[in-house]
Amino acid sequence: MHPEDKASDALLIAKLKERDPNALSAAYDRYGTLTFSLIVRITRDSSVAEDLVQEVFLRLWNRIQDFDETRGSLNVWVLAIARNMAIDYIRSSHSRFTAKTRPLDQTDFAPISYKANEVDNTLDNSKAVREAFTSLNPNQRKVLELAYFEGFSQSEIALRLEEPLGTVKSWMRSALTRLRTAMQEGRPK
Amino acid sequence: MTHSEMDELYELYLLGALEFEQASEIAEHVSQHCAYCLAQLKESSRVVESLQSLIELKQPPPELRARVLAAAAPPAPKSRPQWPAAFALACAASVALAFWGLGQQNRLEEVSRQRNELRSALAILSEADTKTVSFGQAQTEPQGRVFISRNGGVVFLGNRLPELAGGKTFEFWLVPAKGNPQAAGLFKTNAQGIAVNVLAKSFNPADYAAVAVSIEPAGGSPQPTSKPILIVPLA
Repeated sequence: MHPEDKASDALLIAKLKERDPNALSAAYDRYGTLTFSLIVRITRDSSVAEDLVQEVFLRLWNRIQDFDETRGSLNVWVLAIARNMAIDYIRSSHSRFTAKTRPLDQTDFAPISYKANEVDNTLDNSKAVREAFTSLNPNQRKVLELAYFEGFSQSEIALRLEEPLGTVKSWMRSALTRLRTAMQEGRPK
Repeated sequence: MTHSEMDELYELYLLGALEFEQASEIAEHVSQHCAYCLAQLKESSRVVESLQSLIELKQPPPELRARVLAAAAPPAPKSRPQWPAAFALACAASVALAFWGLGQQNRLEEVSRQRNELRSALAILSEADTKTVSFGQAQTEPQGRVFISRNGGVVFLGNRLPELAGGKTFEFWLVPAKGNPQAAGLFKTNAQGIAVNVLAKSFNPADYAAVAVSIEPAGGSPQPTSKPILIVPLA
């Protein structure tokens, strides 16, 4: 996150904690599209995503006092709420047959499209990180997607991909190490 | 597990990709405010944050912004109950109660069911042909409204209903001008004493003389087994 984003987030959090309704508008303007996009990606249902986005921001509004800035950014918190809600939704039996039983080749492994330029206000998009993403091999991308968008554990991913658990752990570890290293290298000195 | 063994697990912990045993070990450190783990988690959250790059951006519908802001807005003071608002509150309260009162799987199913019910009800209330019938003006009797739409269905919203004994439920009936009552849904009151029943189907209101509510054994009855506690003429 850029320093100016961090500063504006701090102000936004302070205003949210003061229950300033304009701060909620600002939070939606800042994170609404990303939140909606994440939930659509997980649930594959725009209508459900609209309902869940409303719940995410309602929770942000009602639980902002619980937010601890020392543990991470507002962006991470909002997206974590959204991701958890969406994954909970697709794990419910109501949606199981419409979301999770689609053939793998239709849904799970769509090529990762790196959109750094479109989300540049919300994450560290240093050149090193961009390169790290594009340098991941298909297996590394696959396991990251299954963990991030489906909420699968490593053993669930191994079952899903019919690969040994050790192999999945290795792909996951190497992918995360590459991202971590890239972020450390891309950090301003 | 030592901290060095945990070093490669913090991102996986944040992703929820660890198995229970490993995740619970880290969770235990976090719950004890382990400074090392908290620092590592904060650092790892940046890596997890970078996974947002995998999200293909889609624009939400413009009206969603207003909907989100309205949901968080404090309710305007009203001298009388506003039924659509009361209905929404009743549903929200029911959803919340369901969420906290049931197991995780059941909670999600119940929340999902009630969300669908709320969506159906709002669709009925917003139909152009929706008519409203009020009942229960006296202070001691059940009070509420019935919203009827030829295209959408029927929403029953009531309060001051009698308390249900164990193993009983309220059952909603459509009473035709001729013939037997037709079962149209089971419901209970929420913690605020408000009851909602939604019947989402197209029908001709002219074919029905009234709607009614009776108390039936849990699971409902094909025909009323007790005298209705409420009959609301539709004419």
